[in-house]
Amino acid sequence: MNHNITGPPVEEEFKNKARVLIIFVFMLLGILLFRLFVMQIIRGSYYEGLSQNNRLRIIDIPAPRGKILDRNGIVLADTRPAYNVMVMPEDISSASDISLRLSFMLNRPRSEIEDAIRQAKSKPYDPLSIAKDISFDQVAKIEVQIFNLPGVSIETMPEREYLFQDLASHAVGFIGEISKGQLEENSEEDYGPGDIIGKSGIELACEDTLKGTKGVRIFEVDARGRRVKVLNERAAVEGTDVKLTIDEGLQSIAAKGLSDKAGAVVAMVPNTGEVLVLESSPGFDPTIFTSSMTPEQWKQVMGNPMHPLENRAMRGVYPPGSIMKVVTALAAFNAGILNPDGKIYCPGYYTLGHTVFRCWQARGHGQVDLVTAITQSCDVYFYTLGRALGIDGIAAYAFMLGLGTKTGIVLGDDSPGLMPTKLWKRQRYGQPWHPGEDVIAAIGQGFILVTPLQIAKAMSAVVNGGKVFTPKLLEEGQSVLERNLNIPKSRLDYIKEGLKGAVENDRGTAQSIKDPLFSIGGKTGTAQVARGYTSKLSDESDIPYKYRDHAWIFGFSPVEKPEIVVVALVEHGGHGGAVAGPIVRDVIKGYYLQKEAVREQIRQNYR
Amino acid sequence: MSRYAKITDNLDWGILITTILIICIGLLSVYSSTSGTGSTIFIKQLTWISIGTFFLIIFFVVDYRTFMYSAWPIYGLTVLALVLVFIMGREISGARRWIAFGPFRMQPSELAKIFVIIWMAYWGEKRRHIQLYGFRELIFPAAIVLIPVALILAEPDLGTAGIVSFIALAMFLLLGIRRSTILSLGALCAAVMPFLWFLLKDYQRKRIFTFLDPSRDPLGSGYHAIQSKIAVGSGGLIGKGFLHGTQTQLKFLPEHHTDFIFSVVAEEWGFIGSAVILFLYLLLITRIITVGLKAKDRFGALLCFGIASYFTFHVFINMAMASGIFPVVGVPLPFISYGGSFMVINLICIGLVLNVAWRRFIF
Repeated sequence: MNHNITGPPVEEEFKNKARVLIIFVFMLLGILLFRLFVMQIIRGSYYEGLSQNNRLRIIDIPAPRGKILDRNGIVLADTRPAYNVMVMPEDISSASDISLRLSFMLNRPRSEIEDAIRQAKSKPYDPLSIAKDISFDQVAKIEVQIFNLPGVSIETMPEREYLFQDLASHAVGFIGEISKGQLEENSEEDYGPGDIIGKSGIELACEDTLKGTKGVRIFEVDARGRRVKVLNERAAVEGTDVKLTIDEGLQSIAAKGLSDKAGAVVAMVPNTGEVLVLESSPGFDPTIFTSSMTPEQWKQVMGNPMHPLENRAMRGVYPPGSIMKVVTALAAFNAGILNPDGKIYCPGYYTLGHTVFRCWQARGHGQVDLVTAITQSCDVYFYTLGRALGIDGIAAYAFMLGLGTKTGIVLGDDSPGLMPTKLWKRQRYGQPWHPGEDVIAAIGQGFILVTPLQIAKAMSAVVNGGKVFTPKLLEEGQSVLERNLNIPKSRLDYIKEGLKGAVENDRGTAQSIKDPLFSIGGKTGTAQVARGYTSKLSDESDIPYKYRDHAWIFGFSPVEKPEIVVVALVEHGGHGGAVAGPIVRDVIKGYYLQKEAVREQIRQNYR
Repeated sequence: MSRYAKITDNLDWGILITTILIICIGLLSVYSSTSGTGSTIFIKQLTWISIGTFFLIIFFVVDYRTFMYSAWPIYGLTVLALVLVFIMGREISGARRWIAFGPFRMQPSELAKIFVIIWMAYWGEKRRHIQLYGFRELIFPAAIVLIPVALILAEPDLGTAGIVSFIALAMFLLLGIRRSTILSLGALCAAVMPFLWFLLKDYQRKRIFTFLDPSRDPLGSGYHAIQSKIAVGSGGLIGKGFLHGTQTQLKFLPEHHTDFIFSVVAEEWGFIGSAVILFLYLLLITRIITVGLKAKDRFGALLCFGIASYFTFHVFINMAMASGIFPVVGVPLPFISYGGSFMVINLICIGLVLNVAWRRFIF
């Protein structure tokens, strides 16, 4: 095709313009060449001087983390100054000489220090930490000699201190050096390699509040690497404190009660959802993650068969056992199929087709109404309700109480547990639901799995008349009311009477939390670990530890207007309340004693 | 058949080899500026060069006139991408410039540069009967160019908006504008200039202030300028040697693998190295202009001139900024600075120039 019909040939048309363009390019690049000539050749030594003699060192100043406090202002996690020995590898003239001197002062093998310095030579301008958190004596020894130690300095670094060691360690969490993954996740924020960041618990959940703002210090150093002066400094801003709803005193009581047993205790204020106790046992000392952990410490934590890092209070899942009966009863009320005064006959077993389901009381409870059924924990009564409700009827109400879903607690990594439905079983196993499974679901066995925190949330909602609150761990912010089930007072009275009877009645199953001074209601539960094992052996202590059932118990007080709900779970704690009961009772007593102490204090202040 | 047999004979080796040389220098500099940090930027840059080479081949193989015929769709696509930035863009330090496609992030404003060149060249070909543009002839093409410029300004990305306007301006001048029109437009610009000041964001004003007097804010926005000047100046005649630039290795210079990479080169390779790079750019740009002059149609010629001015502006502004004679704006150095979209666009430009050069032998 001919392209030059209408215009002159391209070359002719643009010849002059292209020449102008080329001249323009020459001009601009010429300006650059001239500028570079001036800077690099004529003024080169001036800039050389700036870069050589006035060497600047830029050091990040880590911000002290905010404190973590309990509801009464008791400090759980604090920040204290620690002294670290730092080395600027570029400024070390003789690694062997420096490491020899330091090895005496720090009481550490010379080769170790020397290797560290030599390795760091590849990044000569990054300050290297040789020893962390050294003693005052060591600080003094080094400071005296600092002029013979060019390139060495002592930096004050904020260090996390967990004042109660393993108390509430799962709720408080721990911190550590930022990982590669976390660094990428937070790439738009002010994190650098080696920075400290929250790894679990509140330390992680409230990282943004706690971390504060890093500062910067710019030094001028001489040719030997000694600091001449601070040129500029922007101070670090301390992080903001976080106040928890946790009560250190009650938490201690719970921890003491569990002592070395694996288990969890949760206490909640039923009318606000505030979590007073979030205890998981065994605990761990979060401090070991902060300072350099020895391999033995690591092994002790990670290799422990009891998994101390696991937060059983919200991540451990267990069948709810008989505590579920409260849910079943309310579900039956709600479905309109329960006449609380009507009696059901318990012969000690329940038959469905060819299958026989036993009541825990082999000789039977006789004629039982709702209150008696709860008080004496009659299985047959609830088998009957469960069969009538069906699993979907039970599950629908359980979901509304917050069972089988994440609780919404700020820590965020709690387990949802499991509340089965017919649909779930078909999707999961491709099998239809068996009527027998309705029956055992009604007493909290089978597929159902819940966390102690879920039970605390659900039972708080039950005893406060149906208000389901999200567990609240931070003092700041309003309580979150998820829904109100508006349990009519008439129905609630039956449930409460049953729960009160379980504690106070001579035939009640939760007598282990009884206290003559306080009005307490509650319910025990047994989460079966190995089905069938228990029935064959009569004496619990004959059963091997790992096959023993988990013991649940929940208590609330006072029965009329509940102020506290406590849930305890002891892994492999056998039946009911023998082990778990006293813990719940002690926490409730502790609650009243503290209240009394506060009242006393107020009284004295006004006198 | 036979006309495609001689790909190698008619290929413009000068442009290709110069480009490869500059890219190699760039890779060395990116390696040096990120060494010891354990960063994967060097590998990423290699990946982007491979992706860019793939696009170069596409833009070389497809007859360049195809882009002339699709100038409008390409233009529409660019504007759409720029609008998308506002809808789904990621905001980083006050500016919304990026959109993400899975793991890749892209800067649509980079696309705008090349598509403005294509559209202007298309317009020059379509209206080849216009010998000198007056006001009336300028209104429509100027409006077309101003739409993407306005969108980029709103991101805000002052540097790129400036570059796109400069390219358009250069191309209008190449097309030919009446002297009287030039004079009156120049006067108008001078009158409007003070008002533009109020449109600038705070940080942009601050940059201009600190350009005039870097010591105003030695730790803030003047920091770049001071440290970059020390880096460049202290390079001296032969430089401090590869990986031995104290300024850059000390991490005094933030962004030294992107906008301030020239400081790394100048510090480590000295005046000799800087001069070599300047020479390579000069070679590349003048060669591109020559290719344009020899093109068989107006579209091809204007394409090359546009690309030549694009590279010129980038090289000049970037190096001038690094050596302290231009305010700090985000304008990277072609083929040397780290940056995915930027590398790809530059290689596409080279593909287009090779395309124009190669097809002048085909009739």
